[in-house]
This record gives sequence, structure tokens and C-alpha cells, in this order.
Amino acid sequence: MTLGLGVWGGTGMDAAMWLPLAVSALFWLLAAPVGRRLPPATAVRALTAAMVATALATGFVLAAAALLVLGQAPPVAALGEWSATALATGDPVPLALGGLAAVTVAGLGAAVLRRVVHTVRDLLRSARACRALGPAVAGLVVVEDDAPEAFALPGLTGRVVVSTAMLRALPADERRVLLAHEAAHLRHRHHLYMIVAELAASANPLLRPAARVVGRSVERWADEVAAVEVGDRPLAARALVRAGLARAAAQRTAPALALSGVDGDLVDRTRALLTAPAPRRPLLAGLVAALVVLTGAAVLVTAHGTEDRFEAAQTVYAAQP
Amino acid sequence: MPTIGRRKGALEQEVLAALAAAGRPLTAAEVLADLGDGLAYTTVMTTLSRLHAKGALTRRHSGRAYAYALHGGDAASVGASVTAHRMHRLLEAGSDRAGVLARFVEELPPEDEQLLADLLAAATRAGEQA
Repeated sequence: MTLGLGVWGGTGMDAAMWLPLAVSALFWLLAAPVGRRLPPATAVRALTAAMVATALATGFVLAAAALLVLGQAPPVAALGEWSATALATGDPVPLALGGLAAVTVAGLGAAVLRRVVHTVRDLLRSARACRALGPAVAGLVVVEDDAPEAFALPGLTGRVVVSTAMLRALPADERRVLLAHEAAHLRHRHHLYMIVAELAASANPLLRPAARVVGRSVERWADEVAAVEVGDRPLAARALVRAGLARAAAQRTAPALALSGVDGDLVDRTRALLTAPAPRRPLLAGLVAALVVLTGAAVLVTAHGTEDRFEAAQTVYAAQP
Repeated sequence: MPTIGRRKGALEQEVLAALAAAGRPLTAAEVLADLGDGLAYTTVMTTLSRLHAKGALTRRHSGRAYAYALHGGDAASVGASVTAHRMHRLLEAGSDRAGVLARFVEELPPEDEQLLADLLAAATRAGEQA
């Protein structure tokens, strides 16, 4: 924790500034095992909240470090009416590190903006598609097509879109699983969690694995809702497998089908349905929450320390003749 | 595990799905036979009438009963192919993990196919024991 920011008058600001980065690294390492152990709904909620807190905290400490260095530039100091030399005395943020922080925070800010633009465009496209697919009784759109497809299209009301090939591939009880799964995506607004997780990962690339875990857990969440609705876990597992095999068969005849690479997920989802639901593990969920609180505290300490530093520099400036 | 029963609108969706899967007009008795699952004939009948009233289904006499079909569900109509085209475009555009589309199942690597077939057998056995 002494990688160069120094200790400012024992405020603990040094350690505090590094803490969000340390927590991010922890998420990088532990998001996948934590996601596997928590019930999927808990995993989605806890991880998404933790990701938002961590991304904001990381952005904040990077901005503070950048500000402490940029503030030493004479024109900036004159504008802010503080003493550049006073800001630079003591145990300041090294110029190089502050510069790096400034570049990083600018780059990540741009990445977030780009992500926001993409997301808005995707949501508009989705809403337009909902309208274009025409009226949907009970929120279901059946598309006459030989490719087995089924997906949820979020919008103001949302649509479940299923192709006739998919419906023909499944017996009635498994069709019920599929419909319950897609309805669960819409009812629990899963797309919002995914959008927020993606935004957090754009703001802090160390959170990228956690965003993938959220994406996977959202599918598992919908699987679990469907399994409860039909009251039969093996039945839910059978529906998944049969739909997966139908898609695989269609891919062989039409390999040009849209690709979106998701790793051996379906196997994991099926296995999870063939075993008992995950226990609640309040301790693990509490641990994630504790990390969020710790990150929040680090932000407060950093904010306080940075403010103190600038105030001291302003006092020096005011005392100058 | 307790069953929480059908959510609102679920039965309507299941009836629509059954008619789409059959690809031909079905009577209430045929829909009931397909859905099974302890449903009452009158429940299926009511759902079919309601869907017909909403304009989602067409019906014609088939003997003494009505046979129901999806509205515009006759294969290869122009409207259907436009919709299918739209769906594919949407899937191609939305494959960037934005969360805008959530597919039931994604593509799987070929090596997973055998694994899944084995799991299907396991799931079937588990279902029989349950």
C-alpha cells in the first residue's frame, strides 16, 4: 500500500486511494466463484450493486489523484486560487502517477460514454422491433421460421419471440418451461442488470469478469424461476437440452446463423437444474456487501483528504502578499 | 418443490404455442390433449374463445366443434417471411451482450452436443424417479 502516494499526515488517504483498486482486483479474481456459489438472483443483485459502487469509487480516486497533480500546474492553481507549491509539498502524488491517473480516467470516461450511446441505440432498436413485430396477444410473438429461436425483447411492455421451429422441437411441458424462462427475463427486468453491469465494466475493466458472471447468472435466474413455475427441475433441464440440441442441428444445416459466443454455458445451466437449488449463503452475500461499504468508506476518506489538501493550499495562497 | 402455478397470461401463451407447434387448426379437445397437465376442458375452451375475441385466432367449424388456428399462421405468407427476416436482422444486431436480447439457449460448441445428449438422458431418468 506504499506504492508511491505517500502518507498524508496520517489521514490514511494513501491506503484509501488504493483500496477501490484492490477491491476491483478482488472482483476480477473472485467474481466467478462467488457467482457460482450464490443463488443466481442474489448473485445478480449483489454483484451488480457491488460493481456500480466499485466503478464509481475507482473513478473517484483516479480523478482525485489526477486533480492533485493537475492542480500543481500554475495556470490551474491561479484559477483555483491555491498555492501550487503548497499543494506539491509534503508527500504528494508523484507527477507520473497523477498523469497516468488523468489519462486513465479520461479514457475510461470516454469508454463509458461510448457504452451509453450503444446502450441507448440498442434499447431504441429493441423498442422499435417490438412495435415492428406487431401486436402480441399475451406478449408472445410467434415467427414462422425454420431456425429454432427464442428470446425476450425488452421494451415498455416487452415481447417474447419464438420461432415455429423452436416450438415444434419441444413437447408441450417443455414449451411451458421456455415461455416461463423468457417471461422471467421480462418480469425481473434482467436487461437492466446487464446494462448496468456492462456500464460498470466499461468504467473499470477489472470488473469485466464480474459482468460476464452477471450475464450468466441472469440466465440461471430465469431457469430457476421457470423450474419453480413448472414445479419440476428435471423437466426444466430437459427443455434446455432439447432446445440446445435443436439449435445445434439447425446450425449444421445453416452455419451462417448469427453467432454470439457463449462458452459451454448450457451444460452448466443444465447441470445446475439437475442438482438441488443453491443454498442462500447469507455470509457470502454479506461479504460482498461489506466490500461495498469498505469501498464507500475509502471514497469518503479520499474526498476528505483531497479537500483538506486543497484547503491548506488555498490558505497558503490567501496568506501570500 | 412447490408449484407456484401459472403466471398471468401463461396459459394464453401456451395455447398459442401449441397451435403454432401443430401447424394446423386444432379443436379445444386437441389442444387439451397436447397441453395435458391436469387442465380442465372448460379452461382451454375459455382461453381459446378469449384469444379468438382478441383477434389472435381464426376459427372454423370442424364437425360439431370449432377448430382454431393462429391468425395469419398459414405457412409462407408474405407477412410471416417479413417477420422472420426482421427477427434474424435483430438477432444479428443484438449479439453484442448488451442485454437487449436474452436468448433461451445460445449456440453451443460441437463437443458439448454429446455431453448434452447424456444430460438429457440423465434428466429423463431424474424425471421418471420424481
